[in-house]
Amino acid sequence: MDKGNPRELWEYVLTQIELSISPANFNTWFRNSFIVKIGEDSVIYIGVPSQFFKDWYLKKFHSLLLKIVRDVSYEFRNIEYLIVKDEHRKIPKETKNVRGAMELPLDEFYINKSDSLNPRYTFETFVIGSFNNLAYAASQAVLNRPGITYNPLFIYGDTGRGKTHLIQAIGNQFKKQYPGQKVFYLTSEKFVVDYTDSVQAGTANRFKDKYRHYDLLIMDDIQFLSKKEKSEEELFHLFNALHDMNKQIIFSSDRSPVSIPDITERLKGRLASGMTIDIGEPDPESRMAIVKKKAASHGVILSDEVIEYVATSMSGSIRELEGMVNSIICHAQVKGFAPDIAEVRQSLRSFTRPQKNISVKNVVDRVAEYYGIDEESIYEKTRRREVVRPRQVIMYLLREDFSASYPTIGTKLGGRDHTTVIHSCEKIKREVIVDSELAKEIQDIRTLLV
Amino acid sequence: MNISIEKKEFSEAVHTASRFAERKSGTLPVLSSILILAGDDGIKMRATNLETGIDLKINGEVKSDGVVAIPAVVLQQIASSLTNDGKIDLEHTGDIVSLVSGMGKSSIKTVPYDDFPLIPFPENPKNRIVLPGVLLRSLFTTVASCASTSTIRPELSSIYIVIEGGILTAVATDSFRLAEKKVPLSNKGTQGKFLIPAKNAMEIAQALPDDDIIMSFDENQCAFVGNTGMIVSRLTNATYPDYRQIIPKESIVEAIVLRKDFEMALKRTTVFSDSFQKVRVSFDPKKKSFSFFARNADIGESSETLPAQISGSALDISFNHRYLSAVLALTSAESISILASGIGRPLILKGVGDTSLLYLVSPMNQ
Repeated sequence: MDKGNPRELWEYVLTQIELSISPANFNTWFRNSFIVKIGEDSVIYIGVPSQFFKDWYLKKFHSLLLKIVRDVSYEFRNIEYLIVKDEHRKIPKETKNVRGAMELPLDEFYINKSDSLNPRYTFETFVIGSFNNLAYAASQAVLNRPGITYNPLFIYGDTGRGKTHLIQAIGNQFKKQYPGQKVFYLTSEKFVVDYTDSVQAGTANRFKDKYRHYDLLIMDDIQFLSKKEKSEEELFHLFNALHDMNKQIIFSSDRSPVSIPDITERLKGRLASGMTIDIGEPDPESRMAIVKKKAASHGVILSDEVIEYVATSMSGSIRELEGMVNSIICHAQVKGFAPDIAEVRQSLRSFTRPQKNISVKNVVDRVAEYYGIDEESIYEKTRRREVVRPRQVIMYLLREDFSASYPTIGTKLGGRDHTTVIHSCEKIKREVIVDSELAKEIQDIRTLLV
Repeated sequence: MNISIEKKEFSEAVHTASRFAERKSGTLPVLSSILILAGDDGIKMRATNLETGIDLKINGEVKSDGVVAIPAVVLQQIASSLTNDGKIDLEHTGDIVSLVSGMGKSSIKTVPYDDFPLIPFPENPKNRIVLPGVLLRSLFTTVASCASTSTIRPELSSIYIVIEGGILTAVATDSFRLAEKKVPLSNKGTQGKFLIPAKNAMEIAQALPDDDIIMSFDENQCAFVGNTGMIVSRLTNATYPDYRQIIPKESIVEAIVLRKDFEMALKRTTVFSDSFQKVRVSFDPKKKSFSFFARNADIGESSETLPAQISGSALDISFNHRYLSAVLALTSAESISILASGIGRPLILKGVGDTSLLYLVSPMNQ
């Protein structure tokens, strides 16, 4: 707070007063008051609407107000009350001044307006490992001869593997290599929204023209186009137009073109017509390299021990890995030095999944409760259908989620043979894939067990 | 506290005081209460909504001293249902007040009175004049209706009071019409001017006694002190527009009509006025007639001609009929003088023989 700014000072005073008097009192007496000015002799002048207020402030609130402003600064000598002119009562809203200093930077989320590219994504920050080697090579080929070598370039892989980073890096590099050429990055969702908006506004023609003049078009997450037939058709025409003019197109998706459900065959064929590359799961070495590079880009040097811990403690996407690194960096920035392994363990506890220590009985209880059967019957030798299914689900859960051994599960559930258990687990595992009802049930039970 | 008051006195006091209590909810509960004080200087009722405030003296018997705050609405409802003569006794024990009148007894929960505000008296009442309350009341009630009801310009929703050379002038305008009323004062020395919110003035007018009162004011506050108590009001802190410059100095035509002719003719014509409430006024010096004309596309049209004394040139000009008829409430003169100074210029209405009033109406676009 700037104690020289009457507005900020008053806001602070109000928050303090609000705590010490009743809401009705506060609304009655403080709604229409404000600090008129802070005099040169360090006297604060408070503007009030009428004599009623002035008398009451002097009688009731003077000492409280004085205490609050003295807490802010001992400089303030006194408070005086002025009855202000009605026309001056409503003070113009000050434009919010931008605060610098203590804000942690958010420039990672800065996005260039003209091409929607995030300048953070470059090849310099891109870690190349065995898992994305091919994709990287292809993107370099595209950059060397855009529109000719691999058109379209289709990159797919699970979430958090660096697809977006790679394709945006291509865009950023393209801008650098070919100044004057136009690049545009968008997600397929944005494309759909844009299209529907333009249809609604009756400007579909302008929409067509807009996308046709780009030299490099990058479309992310193409799988979201499924079932949006009109947009697909529009994309189909756009594709043809760009492809005919030898303009480079890059797509990304979380699965290969052939396995994107519900998109028309002719679009599928076109998506796959150029180069289709898969980004696999990063190997541990690559993960360590990613952690190292990411931390270094923020000026934080982490010990090898920490890097290894972060890279291996969690399997999963690179995005989650980045989240962990970010939180370490934040810690380092606040404390002023890089954390050691113990601290990292402490601060990353929230990222690692909680260790589940639930007894077999607990699981049985929950599942029995979920299916509305008597839990005793689970342990019995009965083969009634309504009991068999839950029993198999329990076995499956114990095996999958709690990694109990087959013989243990067998003994705990009324002395069954381990082969029975294996059979049950395999059966549920098979059925879960095809039976969405069962999958949902298991999902529900899992949430109950957490 | 234990007091005893005549029922009639009690209900009048409650009705007067409750006008000044806060009617909006969401503020301090004590603001919507009436504070009753019993002490060495008799019984008093106080109420305030932080705009205006009243401190009312009541005749009654004080058996024991004390202070109590009671919701104004409750008191008002009780007061309006009191019948017969006789006394009402108030006794305060704990947080309950018992009201005993005749055979009935009611117990009312009190409101904590710690937060009851002070009622401020002007700090430096060097500006003070004495005038009859009844005069001030009629001044406020007539002029206040011409003030603006919008709060956007606080000065226009106020009555402008100027005291100069032994004359008190009250002015109110909502920028479409303006009323100026003058009353002579017995005390010629005082000078000054202030703006009192019209809403407050209306409330105060209802509570003013008929006898002489002392009106005092300073920059922010004014007070009306009579032998029955004191009323205060916040003043508007704003500059009043220089209204005198819009009053036309000369006129091109003047008509004098009888009040009752004017009233009836206008009333009939307004039936046919359109959604803009437009009525055309015509001065015809040749035929010695003054006429109203109104046309409504849905209803029809009407013209009313009334005999008049006219001097000047012929003129047709349109007005909002509500603003024309308002003059009737401002003066009680038998004849009304109407002065026009041309197309697009305001019309002046006065009561013949009544020099206290000046009423100005802006014309509507033709």
